[in-house]
Amino acid sequence: MTMMTDIIKSPLLLILVSAGLLYIVGFSLVYLKKSYTHCLELGMTKEELNKIIKSSVVFSIVPSLSIVVGLFVLISVMGVVWSWWRLSVIGSLSYETMIASSVSTALGFESSAEMLTNATGTQFGVVMILMSIGMLSGFLILIPFGKKLSMSVNKADLSGDERKNSWRYVLSGVFMLCMFSVYIPVLLIGDSVQAAVMITGLVIAVALGIVAQKTGQKWINEFVMALSMIGGMASSLLWVKVFG
Amino acid sequence: MAKEKAAAAKAEEKKLDSFQDWAHRWGRFGTVIALIYMIALPFIVLVTYDCVPSFGEVINIGTISILMIYIPVGISEAISYTPMLGASSYLTFITGNIMNLKLPCAVNAMKLAKKEPNTPAGEAVASVGVAVCSIVTVVILALAALLSTWISPVFELPAVKTASNYLIPALFGSLTLGLFSSTSSGRKVVKNGIVGVIPVLIIVTALALVVRISSGGSLFGMVGFLIIGMLPIAIIFSRIMWKKGVIKVVDKEEAPAEES
Repeated sequence: MTMMTDIIKSPLLLILVSAGLLYIVGFSLVYLKKSYTHCLELGMTKEELNKIIKSSVVFSIVPSLSIVVGLFVLISVMGVVWSWWRLSVIGSLSYETMIASSVSTALGFESSAEMLTNATGTQFGVVMILMSIGMLSGFLILIPFGKKLSMSVNKADLSGDERKNSWRYVLSGVFMLCMFSVYIPVLLIGDSVQAAVMITGLVIAVALGIVAQKTGQKWINEFVMALSMIGGMASSLLWVKVFG
Repeated sequence: MAKEKAAAAKAEEKKLDSFQDWAHRWGRFGTVIALIYMIALPFIVLVTYDCVPSFGEVINIGTISILMIYIPVGISEAISYTPMLGASSYLTFITGNIMNLKLPCAVNAMKLAKKEPNTPAGEAVASVGVAVCSIVTVVILALAALLSTWISPVFELPAVKTASNYLIPALFGSLTLGLFSSTSSGRKVVKNGIVGVIPVLIIVTALALVVRISSGGSLFGMVGFLIIGMLPIAIIFSRIMWKKGVIKVVDKEEAPAEES
């Protein structure tokens, strides 16, 4: 029987992921060439544009490194290739981690680590498909309405009925808040180790936030999520001994 | 009236410059190709290994509850960020990490060039920034993936496996603070959104306590069902609180302290 480990280590997956990423790089290069040439046509100088490119490189490095930290976390539950692919396209660290872990729970595994060891290929197939389709809803708006939205420039805000329009912002946040409101009491009350891990993660996040604010080192903010997550997970080794 | 509207739409269409026109035509086409590939990729692998799950295994009450969280997130991201990113939206959305990486990078590029969003020059400069950012991220992640194969024995250590078991609580711990201060959607910030889910917090806390005290167990395996059950309560109560003016939506500029 094909197991999850067979799939995540398969050469086919590696080839498909590499080809997909080459496409993404190619697409980015075409975009870069087109926009660069157009900026020159609009009267900007090469020096100005080179300055923007250099700044964009520097600007991207720190957040990318925080994604790398997240990549290592995800690798521990989903293997290298699939984690690498998911974090290079569409998704974000929080989304990919959340969906991978939630799906493993939905499949009946105690944890994502248990899934890595025991899941069949078909079960991992469910994870792969859900991770691939879960974040596509944005494209259902972007593909057909991207052009209109780009030109609408806050029509909703200027329409004079801003109050009425503001409900959609509240509604879009409610789903995420609801998920947190379910998970947090369940984690805090259901299991002592889980509760301790969660509180440790929260304390580290608060502490890093304070350090960033006090020292003025804003780059620390980029790493708050990744580092507090790793700190929380590492603390589990202690909490398992204390409560286990 | 309809004719006037059509004429206005045509006039607006004419405002698109050559790059914007290219992006909305070929950028969109390239995005569709990438999307098809992303959806096809797992199926190609699963068919090859004869592991394609049934429809019921993929879509059921447990998994729908998870998808339901993300569908509105994706839609709200598209509605909120596309007007800001314009022609660069397609590349931004396909490479992801919008809030933490692409959007700040696009804004930085426009600031440096002293160009405004929603102008042809602004959108072209933003596209330069987003394209460079996408390439840098893909390259850095590729190097990291390569590095990880060398350090892969680390992931097999029992300690690392134990720590991996606690991914979810650690993730919630790391995200809780930012989420409960305010939820942000593009240029808008929702203040006091947490008030709308107070009934959910109370109900789930009570249920979790009853289960823990009576059986010593946890509701962890039930979260999917709980989320589905609690969503209507959260939406209705949030709507009431929004109507009463307790939950407010403000411009980000008005709430700079809550941007994080």
